[in-house]
Amino acid sequence: MNGWAGQILDIDLTSGAIKTHPLDEKMAHLFLGGRGLGARLLWDEVGPGVDALSPENVLIFTNGPLTATGYQTSNRFSVTTKSPLTGTVLDANSGGFWGMQFKKTGYDALIVRGRAEKPVYIEITPAGITIKGAAALWGKRVRETTKALGQNNNKRNVLCIGPAGENLSRIAAIMNDGERSLARGGPGAVMGSKNLKAIVVEGKQRPDVEDPEQFKFMLYETRKLLRASPLTSQALPEFGTVVMMNIVNNIGALPTRNYQQSQFENAEAISGEELTDKYLVKNASCWACPIGCTRISKTDKVEGEGPEFETTWAFGASCGIDDLPAIIEANAICNDLGMDTISAGSTIACAMELTERGQLDSDLRFGRADLLASTLEDMGYRRGLGAELTDGSLRFATKYGVPELSMSVKGLEMPAYDPRGMQGQGLLYATSNRGACHMRGNMLGLEVLGLPKLIDRFQVQGKSSFVILHQNSSAAIDSLVICKFTNMGVADEYFARVLSAVTGVKYATGDLIKVGERVWNVERMYNLREGFTRADDTLPPRLLNEAVAAGPSKGWVNKLEPMLKEYYRGRGWDEQGVPKDKKLAELQLADLKEAVR
Amino acid sequence: MIDERIYQQFCEIGRDLFDSNMISSHGGNISVRLGDRVIIKRRGAQLGRLKPHDLIETQIEKNDSGVALASSELLIHRTIYQMTPALAIVHCHPRTAIAFSLSRDEIVPIDNEASYLLKKVPVIWEEFASGTPEMAKNLATTLQSYKIVFLRGHGSFATGQTLDEAFHWSSTLEESCQIALAAKIINEPFIEYRGMSEGYKKW
Repeated sequence: MNGWAGQILDIDLTSGAIKTHPLDEKMAHLFLGGRGLGARLLWDEVGPGVDALSPENVLIFTNGPLTATGYQTSNRFSVTTKSPLTGTVLDANSGGFWGMQFKKTGYDALIVRGRAEKPVYIEITPAGITIKGAAALWGKRVRETTKALGQNNNKRNVLCIGPAGENLSRIAAIMNDGERSLARGGPGAVMGSKNLKAIVVEGKQRPDVEDPEQFKFMLYETRKLLRASPLTSQALPEFGTVVMMNIVNNIGALPTRNYQQSQFENAEAISGEELTDKYLVKNASCWACPIGCTRISKTDKVEGEGPEFETTWAFGASCGIDDLPAIIEANAICNDLGMDTISAGSTIACAMELTERGQLDSDLRFGRADLLASTLEDMGYRRGLGAELTDGSLRFATKYGVPELSMSVKGLEMPAYDPRGMQGQGLLYATSNRGACHMRGNMLGLEVLGLPKLIDRFQVQGKSSFVILHQNSSAAIDSLVICKFTNMGVADEYFARVLSAVTGVKYATGDLIKVGERVWNVERMYNLREGFTRADDTLPPRLLNEAVAAGPSKGWVNKLEPMLKEYYRGRGWDEQGVPKDKKLAELQLADLKEAVR
Repeated sequence: MIDERIYQQFCEIGRDLFDSNMISSHGGNISVRLGDRVIIKRRGAQLGRLKPHDLIETQIEKNDSGVALASSELLIHRTIYQMTPALAIVHCHPRTAIAFSLSRDEIVPIDNEASYLLKKVPVIWEEFASGTPEMAKNLATTLQSYKIVFLRGHGSFATGQTLDEAFHWSSTLEESCQIALAAKIINEPFIEYRGMSEGYKKW
């Protein structure tokens, strides 16, 4: 069975027991790996009502059948858990080198359960698997921890949490290879709750490929397509993801000052062009990636990876800040504390609006770049106002009696696209299983970039079909696991053919998308089992009721309701958003149906 | 009520298909998927001259009154939507490609653009070229792995996320076949210029 290692490693931190299980072959074919395998395992492992920060929650690290094969961007991996921020199923994935190295240890998945009595870290090497004391590491920041554990990109890779995870911040990230992150939804807090500081991997088992000749052809064709696409060959390498700043701002879809406006007057000052011109030291790449969108940026105070577009937006337009060095520094602080930049920035923006409305007594006001660093430090260490902000904007705004000012869905802060100017993106946010997310399908391609072809971003009728397809496609890509940026130059049909070449199992494009649909429905069922309902598939009232006042999206709100109805029908769900028996049977998920009836 | 934006898309692609000689006056049909529904050209309507009432909405999984008005090839469109991730379908009758389909089981482009975009186009055949469930299933099964498939002697079915995309594959195939025809007329030895071109035949 090429593509899969065939083994799951299972570590119980409470007892110290280390076990291995065979990977069920049918499960592998149905869910592939990564996010899909993680979702199915989580369904089985973590029943309804479990406290996300209790020993009963698990962390499931997964790679996929393409990981470490050498196919373009086959470096990624996932973590799946119950989110302490949202209470939903949570999958986060990351690039870098750790995922490739993890696959080479000979495991498809690592399940971490229980809680260690004292801080520990796990080491997986050809010499064995050990749980080691981490008392000397506890309290250290991410960079220092990563270095102390011997990070060496192609040989030994470190994944860890920083102070934010240790302090159970519900927006804490897990960091790998120093500055890559599994950021959204608070997986770092789950790791912290287990007293698990780090996981170190060293592996030597390079996966075999079933059809090397076809695999070589697919490598060749993919390289050709990625070179031919201006996005993957020019825009991303030259400007990084921040290239989107001016593009999204120009169409009036850049949320500004906690989504009060949809254009930022100083977007140019925080654009990809500005970042490249003044602060870029060099590009960098994840393992086996020809795109190289990673930025190494430098200011007077910091040098490191990033910032990405979403981060630059979160600390920039969202907070009314046009000070790019301050944003670069805020990004570096978050990376070192191990904290999600989108949620951190958006929560600070929420606090800024509360302050300006007189509902919060603080100095945080829009434009106060000088307060970013200290506020983030306070969040990481749960100090002062930071202790209130560090559990995300919904808990914070609810405490002050204005939950509607949290720009979140299901408690996860929305990314950098205003759903009033991108109707489909609104439906995407409202229905995303881990809460508002641009990485669970993104309408940016269709509604803005013209990938594969431009559609009308204000069109409502028919939009659900695009959202469903892209959600399914992204779930499939997350299960392979590769980088979604390849999808900017390479269509899903290529991924199906690569998967077939690697595994020897014939996957048509439709089969791959069907895997994604299966994954999406397992996640949906998980959330339903946790008590989520149709009422949670919504957007903040501001986006439904307050029309954009000026700019290219002037006069628009998001017209969610008709899209949502069409979406449920298109998904084969009932009017309450519950998958019908026929759909579950079609997806070979009939065993899940009793849990939510 | 069908959105004006969707009507405009139908008009533009319908007109383009006629203007580029990909259909006769009343030939071809196009559709898009809206959730569990399909919007398809009315039976007998001219794609190059669509009126708002020429767009028929019906269901993908079951019949309603819309089937009395929809294109005669609704069955194929429905089957494709049921079996593939397609969100739009363009069916047309590109003349040069039809001629090529009469003598081969697959069309493997020799020009750069179609090699890049299509790799290979399978040609399939049934005694009754349209209207039978077997034909529809055979076509949809093939479209699970290819973005455009040819019915021998009849025409192409192309899928995409949008009508624009499906039209792109259709016009690329016809252009490729016109180039291949011109190369046959010139009748000089082919100089391979593409890397790993053997891979196209195995696509």
